[in-house]
Amino acid sequence: MSQKVLVVDDDQDVRSFVVTVLEENQYMPLVAQDGIEGLEMIEKEKPDLVILDVLMPRGSGIRLYRKMKTDKDLEKIPIIMFTGIALRSFLKSQKALDEFKGGKVPEPDIYLEKPVEPEELVAAIKKKLG
Amino acid sequence: MEIRKLLFVTKFEELCYDALNSLLSLRNAGLEHVIFLNVIERDKVAMKRGSGYLKEEEVKLKETANIRFIDWAENLFEMGMEVGAYIEVASLIPEILRVVKKESPDLIVIGRSHKGTLEQLYAGSDVIELIRRAEVPILVFKHMMEDNIVPEKLFKRPLFATNWSDTGKKTIEYIKGFKNVIGEIHIMHVVKESALKSKDAHEVQKVRKAERKRLDDLCDELEDAGINARPHVYVGEPQKEIEKAAKEYQTSMIILGCSEKAAILERWVGSISKNIADKSVFPCLLIPGEKNI
Repeated sequence: MSQKVLVVDDDQDVRSFVVTVLEENQYMPLVAQDGIEGLEMIEKEKPDLVILDVLMPRGSGIRLYRKMKTDKDLEKIPIIMFTGIALRSFLKSQKALDEFKGGKVPEPDIYLEKPVEPEELVAAIKKKLG
Repeated sequence: MEIRKLLFVTKFEELCYDALNSLLSLRNAGLEHVIFLNVIERDKVAMKRGSGYLKEEEVKLKETANIRFIDWAENLFEMGMEVGAYIEVASLIPEILRVVKKESPDLIVIGRSHKGTLEQLYAGSDVIELIRRAEVPILVFKHMMEDNIVPEKLFKRPLFATNWSDTGKKTIEYIKGFKNVIGEIHIMHVVKESALKSKDAHEVQKVRKAERKRLDDLCDELEDAGINARPHVYVGEPQKEIEKAAKEYQTSMIILGCSEKAAILERWVGSISKNIADKSVFPCLLIPGEKNI
């Protein structure tokens, strides 16, 4: 059975790009348009991997990332951050939120800054899912 | 009421990062989430004879906006804030209302329309149209004077002009939510000259004294809530006097209640809130009243 990969991104062009890459590589794509819809899908579908944008309406990827990493049921789901927001800013945001909210959330181990070539995305997915 | 989520509507020319920056003091009033909205007007990408729909232009405009938003969002993310963005080809007011419905912001920030009076009379200005249809407070942002300087601390010294209406009472409750942001608020009431028509100076003074007493009570109420407040009674034509007071006390913005009734009437007679929002050199925070009047 194909592994399920959830793409959470508000940009339809990006969703189409990632879905195409996933289908070509025999993964089962799922899509969500924002952080809130993304969380609903994650809880319902329990995907094997989440490809997550940061700057989105109705709940950013930062909020969803933190939610997943602090939820015992979701923390093990691997995440690939896939965004136009620079890694440096993402890490600073996590540091600020760690200080503000307490607790420390681990850094994402794969962070891809848009745009990327299909091969780079596939390599990242395979690294996580094998 | 706390301002947790802010919708920042920008065309970039009139409302930029410096304006957003001046709003960040609202973090002390609970601000934690900023939503950016850029509406690309349809006529910029509409079908043109000989060239069809300008898809390339749409992509260019959207990507230009996206690059700006990413830059702004990075700054806000780094402060630990939550950020979202919408870039849509649409009509301005319906799109703002759609996003308001999806996001439920506590405040909408929009730049002043530069349309002329005649155009407003027929079409209704964007701001008034928004006030009429949204139930959310609206901050009409202005670059101060002609030199495009943005006030650094928008809530440092606001001026609230009250006409003792129910909307004014609602506005007071809203203002209390800014207690950690406001340095000192000036509260004013403008007595219309017609109310002072008496041959007896004693009677005129009685009017002033009564209004001053009401303002004192209001200031006491705000000071009990932790906000320094100073009362002022003015006499004359409200729009002119409010602008005058704003200049005299070097206020950072003007706060006004704005009823739907006034918004409906404004097409015919002009409302004070609408006129000030349109014409004043100061940023204006408009608090809508109940819609079922």
